[in-house]
Amino acid sequence: MLTEGGEAPTDGEARTALGQFALRFRVSGVAAFLLLLGVAFTLLRPQFIAPGNLSAIISNAAILAIVAAAQAVVLITRNLDVSVGSIMGFSAYLTADFAARHPHVGPALVLMPLTIGGALGALNGVLVAYGRVSPLIATLGTMSVYRGLTYVYARGQEITASRLPAWMNALPEVRIAGVRLLVVIAIIVVCLLAAFLRFYPLGRRMYAVGSNVSASAFFGLRTQRVVLFAYILGAVLCGLAGFLYAVRVGTVTVVLASGWELTSLAAAVIGGVSVAGGSGNVIGAALGAVVLATIDNGLVLLGIPEFWRMFIQGAAIVLAATADMIIAGQVRNALRARRRIARAAP
Amino acid sequence: MTPTDRVPVLRIASITKTFGAVNALSDVSFSVARGEVHALVGENGAGKSTLVKIVTGVLEPSSGHIELDGEPTGFGTPVDARRAGVAAVYQDPKLFPHLDVAENISMGATPVTALGVVDRKAVVARARESLARIGVAIDPHALIAELSVAELQFVEIARALVADLKLLILDEPTSSLTPAEAEKLFRIVRDLRDHGTAILFITHRLEELTLIADTVTILRDGRHVATRPAAEMSRTEIVRMMVGRPLEGMFAGRAKRTPGQEVLRVEGLTREGAFSNVSFALRAGEIVGMAGLVGSGRSEIAQACFGLSPPTAGRIAIDGVPVTPRSPKQMLALGLAYLPEDRDGLGLIMSAPIVDNVTLPILDRLAKLGFIDEAAGRTIASEAVETYHVRTTGIDQLVSDLSGGNRQKVAFARWLSTRPKVLILDEPTHGVDIGSKAQIHGIIAQLADEGLAVLVISSDLPEVLGVSDRILVIAEGELVAEMDAGSVDQETVMMAATRNTRDSAHAH
Repeated sequence: MLTEGGEAPTDGEARTALGQFALRFRVSGVAAFLLLLGVAFTLLRPQFIAPGNLSAIISNAAILAIVAAAQAVVLITRNLDVSVGSIMGFSAYLTADFAARHPHVGPALVLMPLTIGGALGALNGVLVAYGRVSPLIATLGTMSVYRGLTYVYARGQEITASRLPAWMNALPEVRIAGVRLLVVIAIIVVCLLAAFLRFYPLGRRMYAVGSNVSASAFFGLRTQRVVLFAYILGAVLCGLAGFLYAVRVGTVTVVLASGWELTSLAAAVIGGVSVAGGSGNVIGAALGAVVLATIDNGLVLLGIPEFWRMFIQGAAIVLAATADMIIAGQVRNALRARRRIARAAP
Repeated sequence: MTPTDRVPVLRIASITKTFGAVNALSDVSFSVARGEVHALVGENGAGKSTLVKIVTGVLEPSSGHIELDGEPTGFGTPVDARRAGVAAVYQDPKLFPHLDVAENISMGATPVTALGVVDRKAVVARARESLARIGVAIDPHALIAELSVAELQFVEIARALVADLKLLILDEPTSSLTPAEAEKLFRIVRDLRDHGTAILFITHRLEELTLIADTVTILRDGRHVATRPAAEMSRTEIVRMMVGRPLEGMFAGRAKRTPGQEVLRVEGLTREGAFSNVSFALRAGEIVGMAGLVGSGRSEIAQACFGLSPPTAGRIAIDGVPVTPRSPKQMLALGLAYLPEDRDGLGLIMSAPIVDNVTLPILDRLAKLGFIDEAAGRTIASEAVETYHVRTTGIDQLVSDLSGGNRQKVAFARWLSTRPKVLILDEPTHGVDIGSKAQIHGIIAQLADEGLAVLVISSDLPEVLGVSDRILVIAEGELVAEMDAGSVDQETVMMAATRNTRDSAHAH
């Protein structure tokens, strides 16, 4: 890598292997890790590989995959949303409450959590993009505001499955070609989102803004709008996830999805989405969710207390984010050293 | 290549730009013709970058205007400028590191298919085409993060070509290129020129002028000095025009005196990518100036000595005792203090009063049984305000309320309260008014008389010549000359500072 300095490296051939690896192959890295994890658990507890168990893992991962993808969308623009869990809870509670009062409204009800989520996300986006509040502070504040509103509205009451319309209670068992509807929805949402980010100009601009905000202005990108859009898009997905979660557990409480800010962040970061913005994708984030679900499942099979879950999530975030910074730093150094050698060469 | 008599592509008409009370540009006028490479030269702070920012719409002029093809123009943003055919390539290119070359070239005006999807084929084809036009073979699929600086600049130029390019501005493009890369860039520039593009070329490397420039414009202290055909001017003449102000009266020059014993010795100091093999020594009671262009590595050398960023090789000794600089705290304890250039960001706590700023580095000393002796701290701060003539309402005034010069005096007081043996000052009078400047020079001289060894890093040549006993010249991370301040003039120092590694490695 450093030997090419003497040549004018303008031929586009000799590239830094490290830069390639760091920026391009993170997702394959997660997939490989997942495989490794699977092999390890299978060796320790053969029942891990049973089809029933694998399908349970996927079902458990489905909703988190959507939220991790939502978090990834915001992270890609070099921002952060810690209010995802509160957005899920608020949209789910209001929607379930409405459904309990108006049981005749059919599946069109799903538009309600999406709209609520979008509105809450818009507030986050306005604070961060136009109000220039630090993303962590702004969404930490709204996390508490949204959850607080849920408490105020609910007055501590939970909505039990018996009050929900029959079609909602039946939803978790709906299968398409043997696959749970939840899983199908998660796969479709993540794939659509991945395609949007990959192929649409707006999606590409989200990466551009996260990659280099100051350059964005020189390219005529409206960075504030792009960031606002990312927050809204993410929150709409959280609204959907909140609804699916309510349907899945049946009973909607005011603390629904508390702590998901950390879980979604862990999944996204494990999935190779850089907290420094501009890199990673939602497929990786979704795989990160599967990794977390697999670890959960493995811990149960191994008889390790559930409390370890929190520890592992936190450790995973710290490790993945540190690795991310180290890799980014190494790429920078490699580039700088190459430049220096190139300069010194006769 | 003689410029045609037709309407110039760019006319800069009586541009003046003031920042507060400072005149960055005063009444600058010149024109750039079609098919001309017009070089813009001047010392650091002469106003070149400000001028570029005005032409590209990043800044608005205070008075005067810009004409493009004879039409008065005022670009609101760099994007407007680009649409009108004016593009700038900066020393540090503004691109998206995580995205690939093709995408960077099209970003902001991405071609889409009927479905609104990015037309990847068109994006790649467009990139291929404009890269081919400048004759470079960069893979459109390579990520920007994987490219060298030269390649980044080529991508920027290729991006500029996507629109109809009338004027290309290159801001010190060769400062981090290899000779081969620079030659390639020159070839591209000549080629664009021959196809009628006007080029404004900003450089510090004067020997490049004969290679590439048709016309040279010289700026000094924000004023237009001359615009002449490059062939008619020698390098010495250009240097004289760049630095040609009379020595200001306040530099009385230092009386000769015999320095004391050696307090700091630096040998073979190297940090990969910043500077290499720098050796010098400072003696008690001596003021040593460190001259060089911005970005030549002067600050990095000082910061390495101060333990801010460890060197990768070399030795440092204080009072003859070898030390390995690990942290500023350690170096402060050993008697070395460093005043950074960005004193507002790094040197002072703006939101705190003078007294807190002055006593911060000596809190350990002021502590009695773990509690801070506030009275003692206030006494020290009051004495400092008096000693350094800080104009203030009192030691409880916030530093942010002081003028630049007075802030610098507080910064002095702050580090001097540590009673150092060696004081390194990085651009001590940058952004300071004339009156405070003279006072700061007085303080520096007084400190040396009291036996301190002082290293003054400055881009202000008259200052370096005026306050120093000895001058070290840094160019491209290397110590290229050591001179006796009494026997040199500005031209000699400037020639050394603009020396090019290529001169020695390549030529003759």
